[in-house]
Amino acid sequence: MVFAIEARQLTKIYDGKTKALDGVDLQVNPAEVFAFLGPNGSGKTTLMRILTTQFRPTSGEAYNFGLDVVQSGAEVRKIIGYVPQETSVWADISGFENLLIYSKIYGVPSSRRKKSIEDALQSMGLEEMANRMVKTYSGGMVRRLEIACALLVKPKILFLDEPTIGLDPSARKAVWENLTSFKREYSTTVFFNTHYMDEADIYSDEIAIINKGKIVKSGTPSQLKHSLRSEILQFHSNHFHSNHNGIDENILRNIRDLAFVRDVVLCDSKLDVFVEDGEFALPLIIEALRSEGVSIERISATRPTLDDVFLKYVGTLSFGRGGK
Amino acid sequence: MTAEDSFREMFAMIELEMRRLRHDRTEIYTRAIQPILWLGVFGTVMSQVRGIPTGGMQYIDYITPGVLLQSTIFVSVFYGLTIVWERETGILKRLLVAPASRWATVIGRSVASGVRAVVQALIIFPVAILLGVKFVPNPLYIVTAFLILFLVSGGFAAISIFVASLMKTRERFMGLGQALIMPLFFASNALYPIELMPPALQYVAVLNPLTYAVDAVRGLMISGDLSNLPVDVAAIIIFDVVIFAVASLSFRKIIE
Repeated sequence: MVFAIEARQLTKIYDGKTKALDGVDLQVNPAEVFAFLGPNGSGKTTLMRILTTQFRPTSGEAYNFGLDVVQSGAEVRKIIGYVPQETSVWADISGFENLLIYSKIYGVPSSRRKKSIEDALQSMGLEEMANRMVKTYSGGMVRRLEIACALLVKPKILFLDEPTIGLDPSARKAVWENLTSFKREYSTTVFFNTHYMDEADIYSDEIAIINKGKIVKSGTPSQLKHSLRSEILQFHSNHFHSNHNGIDENILRNIRDLAFVRDVVLCDSKLDVFVEDGEFALPLIIEALRSEGVSIERISATRPTLDDVFLKYVGTLSFGRGGK
Repeated sequence: MTAEDSFREMFAMIELEMRRLRHDRTEIYTRAIQPILWLGVFGTVMSQVRGIPTGGMQYIDYITPGVLLQSTIFVSVFYGLTIVWERETGILKRLLVAPASRWATVIGRSVASGVRAVVQALIIFPVAILLGVKFVPNPLYIVTAFLILFLVSGGFAAISIFVASLMKTRERFMGLGQALIMPLFFASNALYPIELMPPALQYVAVLNPLTYAVDAVRGLMISGDLSNLPVDVAAIIIFDVVIFAVASLSFRKIIE
């Protein structure tokens, strides 16, 4: 089977020193929505820019539907749509004119141009503002127009770099609802970068988490959440906040050493302890924290969300796999 | 990558500039002010002096080709700012991911800027007539002169795109753009014959593409003397080809 996107040992080193990607292996099935999660500077955008033929990897290979992104760049560019993170439409002409110019650049034949533009406008719910100047659009409308431009050629793969960054919740929802229905109609593969966990959770079929240029975990949203196989007991205390490093590491190590504790993650003034059975573990952890002189202000217990998965694999100060 | 793809992109870029101009012409009008002052004030005053050997032309007539070229080249040289702006937004990334070659993108943008520059010259041209500049009364000559303006402006736009791909920020670009224009203008035959210049400057003027453009446009618009035209046109075409190639080769750097 040909994967929609496949990367093998992809590495990118900038200026001979900054390692942005460090041996990334990736497989995305056709017609799938694939979310690529990672903190800022983790290599998300670099990967997308290699996959969209903007620059070459330092080593490794990448393919879009079997086409090598380095050797067959021109063919790859014919089957992909790409929306960069920054604004990519001209603000001093109308939405319709942007679509018209892009349709010419992408080589939509003149006989099909009108229909393609109408379809794209409709897919993104922009019919009514098509003739307004783009500078009068809201952020959400601009983003939908940018995606509409990428839909003109009905791409086989749509690459979206942080598609909803800076949008309010209703605008984000509108973007995703339109995208989902377009995807359903044309079975486009959608590959997007984000750091909104909820978006990845709701809209993606599969997720990969990247940190420092390496994929640290991948799977379906529910697989990822189940991979924690645990409840999270969250202890709030000012103690954690004021005493960074030294003392905290001892506390973390002591708790980590308790047999029933799977993992411990410290984030700001919250200590997340991953356990299998919260009711059993809670009194013992309280005991352990007290003996270290930590005064607990509040305790809460939660089932894992994707945020927890993310924090576990890329967390700031983590004693477990994938942490430092 | 077919030639057809590339031509299509070029025409799309020209159409883009035309549509932008249609929505907002302010820039074209405000940019016409300075060249009109050159003609109306500098040209008129210097016409009284008669100190510069112009080969029998009125001084205002003599400098009109140079002023027209300066105003079009102004448009072109600052076209790179548009490219820098498109770099800061995501437009350039997107264009480079579209199925067209970077040659087409660079030449398309340069040609589009050339069209914009010609529109600029078309605003100044009637004002020059009102100021009493005597043009050769042959429409074919005038049209050819505008074609030369277009070719030269396209070349300077490519220089500007090349500079943009090296400078990458607005501030650095502005500095270099300013530093480029006036010396180009003064180290050419736009305001005075090359023979009046110190020898070092004469050497610069001979390498300055603007010199050939001014000579060609002056021959076509003012004097009607076309004896230098083949050499001038050849120089302009060589300039265009070289700079289009250089700008295209460096273009990919702009998004890195």
